[in-house]
Amino acid sequence: MKQEGLKFFSDIYLTNTALVLFFLVFIGVGFWVFRSGSKEHYKHMSQLPLKKDEL
Amino acid sequence: MTASQEKVKVTYDDQIVRMFFHATLFWAFAAFAAGVWIAFELAVWQLNLNTEWLTFGRLRPLHTNAAIFAFAGNAIFAGIYHSSQRLLKTRMFSDTLSKIHFWGWQLIILAAAITLPLGFTQSKEYAELEWPIDIAVTLIWVVFAINFFGTLARRREKHMYVAIWFYIATIVTVAVLYIVNNIALPTSIAHSYPVYAGIQDALVQWWYGHNAVAFFLTTPFLGLMYYYVPKAANRPVYSYRLSIIHFWALVFIYIWAGPHHLLYTALPDWAQTLGMIFSLMLWAPSWGGMINGLLTLRGAWHLLRTEPVIKFMVAALTFYGMSTFEGPLLSIKSVSALGHYTDWIVGHVHSGTLGWNGFLTFAMIYYLVPKLWKTELYSKKLATTHFWIGLLGTLLYYISMVVAGITQGGMWRAVNEQGQLVYPDFVETVTQIIPLYYVRGIGGALYLIGFLLLLYNVYKSISMATEKPTDEVAEVINTNVKSEDIGTGHRKLEGMATAFTVLTLIAILVGSVIEIIPTLSLHKYVRSDVQVEPWTPLELAGRDIYVREGCYTCHSQMIRKMPSEVLRYGPASTIEESMYNRPFQWGSKRTGPDLARVGGKYPDTWHYRHMINPREIVKDSIMPNYPWLAQEKIDYYSLRKKLSIMKYLGVPYDDDTVANADLVAGRQAQEIADGLIEFGAPEEVRNKEIIALIAYLQALGQKGGLSKEDKEGDSE
Repeated sequence: MKQEGLKFFSDIYLTNTALVLFFLVFIGVGFWVFRSGSKEHYKHMSQLPLKKDEL
Repeated sequence: MTASQEKVKVTYDDQIVRMFFHATLFWAFAAFAAGVWIAFELAVWQLNLNTEWLTFGRLRPLHTNAAIFAFAGNAIFAGIYHSSQRLLKTRMFSDTLSKIHFWGWQLIILAAAITLPLGFTQSKEYAELEWPIDIAVTLIWVVFAINFFGTLARRREKHMYVAIWFYIATIVTVAVLYIVNNIALPTSIAHSYPVYAGIQDALVQWWYGHNAVAFFLTTPFLGLMYYYVPKAANRPVYSYRLSIIHFWALVFIYIWAGPHHLLYTALPDWAQTLGMIFSLMLWAPSWGGMINGLLTLRGAWHLLRTEPVIKFMVAALTFYGMSTFEGPLLSIKSVSALGHYTDWIVGHVHSGTLGWNGFLTFAMIYYLVPKLWKTELYSKKLATTHFWIGLLGTLLYYISMVVAGITQGGMWRAVNEQGQLVYPDFVETVTQIIPLYYVRGIGGALYLIGFLLLLYNVYKSISMATEKPTDEVAEVINTNVKSEDIGTGHRKLEGMATAFTVLTLIAILVGSVIEIIPTLSLHKYVRSDVQVEPWTPLELAGRDIYVREGCYTCHSQMIRKMPSEVLRYGPASTIEESMYNRPFQWGSKRTGPDLARVGGKYPDTWHYRHMINPREIVKDSIMPNYPWLAQEKIDYYSLRKKLSIMKYLGVPYDDDTVANADLVAGRQAQEIADGLIEFGAPEEVRNKEIIALIAYLQALGQKGGLSKEDKEGDSE
């Protein structure tokens, strides 16, 4: 019963792989948003709600 | 930029925003008033006025549904329709779909407001609505989705601002959650049994329940926050980069956290641990988002002194931070052991709903009134008064409930040197916190009074408008999104609505699939040597009454694997014991004691007298009287159909029992009634609902499901 489900989750290599993967994705996104040349783009994006184009 | 600089005029549909705005105010009053009423019902049990449809068990679902789907729902729609058109620089895709969405949603709420007090319920929290309404909700949600994605396709701004991402995540995820959790087989137009049973039903429900908080009360409001806070402060968001991390981390992690509602229950341990770990991870993105919102005000903090809108926003973000700090804390197994089933959870939820959702909505309302009606806010002073009264009310509510929860939780667990419970009478732990129920009620009443000030302020502001409200016209660059070069990487992604939506869907499905699929193969978890009998027809009829009356709103049926629980209630509940239970009735709150093993504990007459007047048995009980159960007749007629559906779903009834369900039930009812009448109950009690309910209560914990070791108190 329980063991059937636990079988996968007690595999230390599998869970560690998942942990490392998640962590790498997180770090990856962190680096990603700081990639070179992104500054102007994000500045543009953050101004979107503030643009005065109302008549 | 290669875009042509040709400009076009766009007329935004502000009428639909005003409609959702009014609906928000209307339903907010209903939700808050119902909340205050049922809060006082716990302090003064007579407040149900001896009326079945005013009883806590039936009004509590009304309150939660009104607060979530009616108040928060309409607020979200108002904000999404208002901000999306401006961020995408185009009118909504279809005015007709907008109107269908609006009126459909209001009709659904109306149907909920009628059916819930009448006792038509699936008893799954925030998913109580019966199947015909569920279908309506799904259809209207699809209308909303078509309207929203149609608008996206027509946008004149190639990049989707982060608020739009949060809206997309909301639309996609709520659809998945709502449909999966509500799959049920109807037994009649007003009743159904879920296809999931016991542990499956519990896991699917709390996967839904937790993510209703995540994707109905968090992501859409974060979208609104990312739009309205910069607008109100007239500053761009503190860090756009942080908002990207905030978004992806939230949608990836939130979906896994559901099992933290089921710690120490019969749910397999791996799922519990998974739920706890992912809840802890949520600390990071939630606080990232809060900080991002608050720091948007850098250099504009002086507005906090003068602008009620900013006051509400800052308080809302602070409450978001506090409740997303407390949530992971409560998900730690040892903290959950103390807090679960107590009022601490109720306090936690309300710091989120009153503080975060409520205050952010009020900020949006005060911000929108002058814009939508081309007027000014009637009185900033009144709005500031609203803020302080609302804040005081929220704090009173929150603090009283945390104190009540920790007090009661501690009393439940207290064990003396002899290894016995210090407070063996459950009611002792209730009388202890009654004064706090009054404080909570007062807190809620203050919150309601603050809201009345808002209503008056909005009314006066609108009457000050000199002309009829019109749709806003803007001049925007006519960009054709499809023909443009759309960059690379994440920039490209932000430009590609479809790819973005698919990625979001994948992010939420990964967690859902890994968590839920293993549990769906229930047979793997059920021990083959443990026998469980299904409910008799009469017990099933009684169970449906138990569900109808909302008994689960105050009583759990899940003895956790903890020494103090086993001492008080008996051996911990097992997976097998609820394997035929549709819907599961594990509950989430113990205003009264757990009932998993109440069967056989007291004689039938005890239950009879207790249901008619609980105080005749337990002097200080706060349970209302249920006299109507001794007046309404048992619905024998529907039992054949109900049993045949149960049999179809895999419950081992023999054909004979199904074919004669009503007769079998009648015989058992007669036996029970004979016994009651012998001990002084009136002759009229025959065939009344109370008989079926007693049959069910007496069967709780008596149907097998425990192995020999379980009975000896060794749960492993």
